[in-house]
Amino acid sequence: MPQARHATSPAGKPGRQTLSAVEEAARMNAVRRYDILDTPPDGAFDRVAAMAARLFKVPVASVTIVDEERIWFKAAHGLEGVSEISREPGLCGSAILADETLVIPDTLTDPVAVDNGLVTGPMGVRFYAAAPITTRDGHRLGTVNILDTKPRLITEDDTDTLADLAAIVLDELEMRLAALNALRIEQERRIEQEEARERAERDIAAIQAFASTLQRTLLPPALPVIPGLELACHYATASPQDVGGDFYDVFPLDDTRWAFFLGDVCGKGPEAAAVTSLTRYTLRAAALIDPDPDKVLTSLNTALLLDPAVGTRFCTAVFGTLEPHERDGFTVTVATGGHPPAYHLRGQGTVEAVRPQGGMLIGALAEARFAAHTLHLAPGEGLLLYTDGLTEARTLGGEMIGEEGLTRFLSARTGPVGAADVIGDTVDLIDATPHGAGDDVALLALSVPLARDTDGLTATATATAHTIAHASETLESRP
Amino acid sequence: MTDFRLTPQHTDGDLALAHIAGELNLATAPLLRAQALALIEQGHRHLILDLSAVTFCDSTGFSALIGIYRCAKTTDGTLVLAAVPARLERLLDLTGLSALLPAHPTAAHALVAHTPSPDTATA
Repeated sequence: MPQARHATSPAGKPGRQTLSAVEEAARMNAVRRYDILDTPPDGAFDRVAAMAARLFKVPVASVTIVDEERIWFKAAHGLEGVSEISREPGLCGSAILADETLVIPDTLTDPVAVDNGLVTGPMGVRFYAAAPITTRDGHRLGTVNILDTKPRLITEDDTDTLADLAAIVLDELEMRLAALNALRIEQERRIEQEEARERAERDIAAIQAFASTLQRTLLPPALPVIPGLELACHYATASPQDVGGDFYDVFPLDDTRWAFFLGDVCGKGPEAAAVTSLTRYTLRAAALIDPDPDKVLTSLNTALLLDPAVGTRFCTAVFGTLEPHERDGFTVTVATGGHPPAYHLRGQGTVEAVRPQGGMLIGALAEARFAAHTLHLAPGEGLLLYTDGLTEARTLGGEMIGEEGLTRFLSARTGPVGAADVIGDTVDLIDATPHGAGDDVALLALSVPLARDTDGLTATATATAHTIAHASETLESRP
Repeated sequence: MTDFRLTPQHTDGDLALAHIAGELNLATAPLLRAQALALIEQGHRHLILDLSAVTFCDSTGFSALIGIYRCAKTTDGTLVLAAVPARLERLLDLTGLSALLPAHPTAAHALVAHTPSPDTATA
């Protein structure tokens, strides 16, 4: 039996009832949740509208979403160019007020629909049926509806079919929402990852800046200018990340006397660098209390053994003092703690290794003993201190330069000794090896210029810093 | 990669001879240190390390030897080396430690020199 049916109205006056403000606000929240309003046409919804039109043999079928002030068409079959209409009662505006399918067999006999624009306007809608699209939590977002320009009746099966189409639309909306949410989560995750990556990059940059600042504190800012003495140095770390374990310094003890040291902390990396720092400051402080090189190294040995942070790290070092010799040049007193010998370059190819007897590794054993050796550094003579990165650099044949090789190299130099030339040539020697120095290298040279150029009246003051942060970068300054 | 083995070969009261084979490097030095210290803790405070099969020794291996020496010393013991590789020997000379760590050409020499006998005082 064909049957017309009206949604029952709780208010008793069909079409007059409205949702309460609270209900409407909750409904609008649901509409916004699906993020469907004003989205472009979508095949799935278009197919539902087309299917409805075909099933019911009506000229117009649509899928609508009811917004605050308008009825928006997600899909419209047979309604060209219409995307929305105002939210007025009678048709869709009334259909979302109840759960049941609203059927108006003849709009002209319906007290509310009769005044609707679609009925009174050029479309002249006479038949309207709509199933609300109801969410699982009971909010009616809009409708799947069919319209005709002539009155008609539909069966109960037909109303059920229309309700099924509305349920399909809801399923489609749910799937779309789930996909949207997944996409949003993915996007948020990507943004978070990007932010984390940026943070990590900033952290790395900060740590690198911090490390290079610390490393600078491990190096003397510049060699001092000592009247009557030429000074030159070279410093290179094996890799740019490595804060070095090699160290050197030259500093005044008083108005006429100076001290110098050069050494190597066992190991690499930040822990070695921390010991390097402790070592440098201990040597400076100890020398100001008592500059006797033997005592200075003994103080350093004690300091390293006492510091629990030092652990099993130890170092080797050469420490020396310089004071003007009564005749000319300087009196140099050198103590060695387990370090390769310094070389006294006498000029004209004469080279003597300075080996104070009994100089032990520093910071390893409480019973370590050190011994000092005094020499006269005369005009035309020099002193070269180095770390084992120099003697352990491998030549083309794969053999280390070694002390013998270094002695040969230094012996081949004729004429008076100049500190800057010695450092420059020694760096060339390292650079000429196939792989350069595999380790950190520190070099320090002191030389007393010949007095003949200055008629014995003016002291020569020269200091050269030949510091290489790493292989690609060379800084040179000649005051 | 961590090719290292410490084999106790001869124990006699407070004396122990251990044969070391492999590399002494960052990875193996802690093993050398721990196993040698264990021998000392077992009462073998006079330790002879036979280094004839040591193929490589860097500063961490060197550092382990110093640690073992320090430990032996706290128990009034000694550390004696045998068949020291050339590079390590140079390092020991350079750092003045050869004065503290007696070295012998072979383990047999070391045993003869350091086995306590009725006519010599304990090493």
